[in-house]
Amino acid sequence: MSLVTDSPVHSSSSDDFAAFLDAELDSKSSDSSPNEEGAKGEFDSDSSDSSTNEEAENDSDTENQRIKRSRVEKLENIEDPKRSTSNGSLEQNLGASSSKDACIHPGSFGDMCILCGQKLNEETGVTFGYIHKGLRLGNDEIMRLRNTDVKNLLCHKKLYLVLDLDHTLLNSTQLMHMTLEEEYLKSQIDSLQDVSNGSLFMLDFMHMMTKLRPFVRTFLKEASQMFEMYIYTMGDRAYALEMAKLLDPRREYFNARVISRDDGTQRNQKGLDIVLGQESAVLILDDTETAWTKHKDNLILMERYHFFASSCHQFGFNCKSLSELKSDESDSDGALASVLKVLRKIHHMFFDELVDNLDGRDVRQVLKTVRKDVLKGCKIVFSRVFPTQFQAENHHLWKMAEQLGATCSRELDPSVTHVVSQEAGTEKSRWALKNKKFLVHPRWIEAANYLWQRQPEENFCVNQPKNQ
Amino acid sequence: MFFHIVLERNMQLHPRYFGRNLRDNLVSKLMKDVEGTCSGRHGFVVAITGIENIGKGLIRDGTGFVTFPVKYQCVVFRPFKGEILEAVVTMVNKMGFFAEAGPVQIFVSNHLIPDDMEFQSGDMPNYTTSDGSVKIQKDSEVRLKIIGTRVDATEIFCIGTIKDDFLGVINDPATA
Ligand SMILES: [Zn+2]
Repeated sequence: MSLVTDSPVHSSSSDDFAAFLDAELDSKSSDSSPNEEGAKGEFDSDSSDSSTNEEAENDSDTENQRIKRSRVEKLENIEDPKRSTSNGSLEQNLGASSSKDACIHPGSFGDMCILCGQKLNEETGVTFGYIHKGLRLGNDEIMRLRNTDVKNLLCHKKLYLVLDLDHTLLNSTQLMHMTLEEEYLKSQIDSLQDVSNGSLFMLDFMHMMTKLRPFVRTFLKEASQMFEMYIYTMGDRAYALEMAKLLDPRREYFNARVISRDDGTQRNQKGLDIVLGQESAVLILDDTETAWTKHKDNLILMERYHFFASSCHQFGFNCKSLSELKSDESDSDGALASVLKVLRKIHHMFFDELVDNLDGRDVRQVLKTVRKDVLKGCKIVFSRVFPTQFQAENHHLWKMAEQLGATCSRELDPSVTHVVSQEAGTEKSRWALKNKKFLVHPRWIEAANYLWQRQPEENFCVNQPKNQ
Repeated sequence: MFFHIVLERNMQLHPRYFGRNLRDNLVSKLMKDVEGTCSGRHGFVVAITGIENIGKGLIRDGTGFVTFPVKYQCVVFRPFKGEILEAVVTMVNKMGFFAEAGPVQIFVSNHLIPDDMEFQSGDMPNYTTSDGSVKIQKDSEVRLKIIGTRVDATEIFCIGTIKDDFLGVINDPATA
């Protein structure tokens, strides 16, 4: 109600004054005109009388423009004598304005071109709000930056690594979702004063508790030697920045490379379009495959880290959570430790084993090769794993086994090494036992997939039917 | 550039502020309302330095509020195209660097950084000449030229360049 009349009233003389200065400085910047002194005198003498000021402004404006135009024409004639005549005369006619239009406007900051400073009306290109508010880059500029950056990075023997937060590097819960059995955690939280050694944090102002995944500190330290790292989360910006503070208190690893859902270009999808890295040099660690439909070949799928009960429930597990069991993932032998080994192997192969030109190398191919080594030499037959009528070759376990380097078959023969089944009573399972072949649960394949290593078969036995 | 100018504003005041301290109340409300704000025309109001004139109050119908036209002197800061500014670097990345001069946010794209300065990544990203003598990193002080400005209600954005004579680092925190 009070707002209606509480408006500023500008005095006209200072308005004109600002416009005058704008015009004056602008023209001075592009040519040091001989009447600079004169113009300055005018502007010093009157800032009080608006009518003369206006006149002076118009005068000096046209004057400057005339000088500027003639200069540009001259310059163009000198610089480009070979240009075809028709083109040249067109340029001359357009005068000063055409030389500005020649800018390709590679990107914008505060809706101004980052190259020529001109105000841009259209919003084009991709927003890079995670780097700085108001920054946008066009596709060509992104490409240019990627090209120069990847060369620089490869020279330093580094690749890009995009890291998801939740369930990959840490697990968070709302305080109100904590169970009674988790109450004890509240007395075990680490100080927020120096977070560099802690792993369990209470963020009262966000009503949250966060547990870092075991081994994460070592992981980040080691990985930062081989990769330029990004955080990319489906959480919002405030959350992403808080988590980055916990993981990287000294800001050694991520700098401003923290991307949140607020920055993405597509809903419920993560994309490498806002990562300034060449796709052939990017690896992704994430527990959600569906978030990366366009970049599956870059993805290393992580086994989900569920520490809190709310996280288990959210994913439909009705078992006790690690927190309720007062337990945790292994530090030296957990998911992050095993994936670090994989990253080292890929890094080594990429830089030390490949023989072709650095530019031509593709980390996605290396990832495929490393993956194909995991179950190399295994020949697998599935028994009652797929629903009847299901096209076996399309089942995700079949595909997974093949990606891990195993051969899958429908028929039993002496070369088969493993029968994968949930029951020991099936015909094929009995054949396996009789012929001293491995009989394993489907989880054996999934475990190999997450841990990047063939797992001991005896840990994945299939229950014997009771009547045997 | 700083200017000392006279601006005018209609101030609305609740009747409870009337009385002996009316003038003081008006001035302190004016300071609170105006200092630290931006206007597209005048830029950032740094400080109010004096009151020129307070006009006759006008009672608003039905509310009892009174509107006073106030003319005041103030120092404003507004960057101009072509102006040379000194600023502190706040962030360096492969796209260029960001710098701040008071309320002004300036971006210098790597197109407008001299070609002999190359980007170096790492925990302290920077642009450095090949002989290593000049380095731009966070907290460096640079002299730059404004080539575009945009003043919003609360923020001032600028595009800058250091690709010209006598522009670039003026104080390197690493050697200071
Ligand atoms: Zn442009």
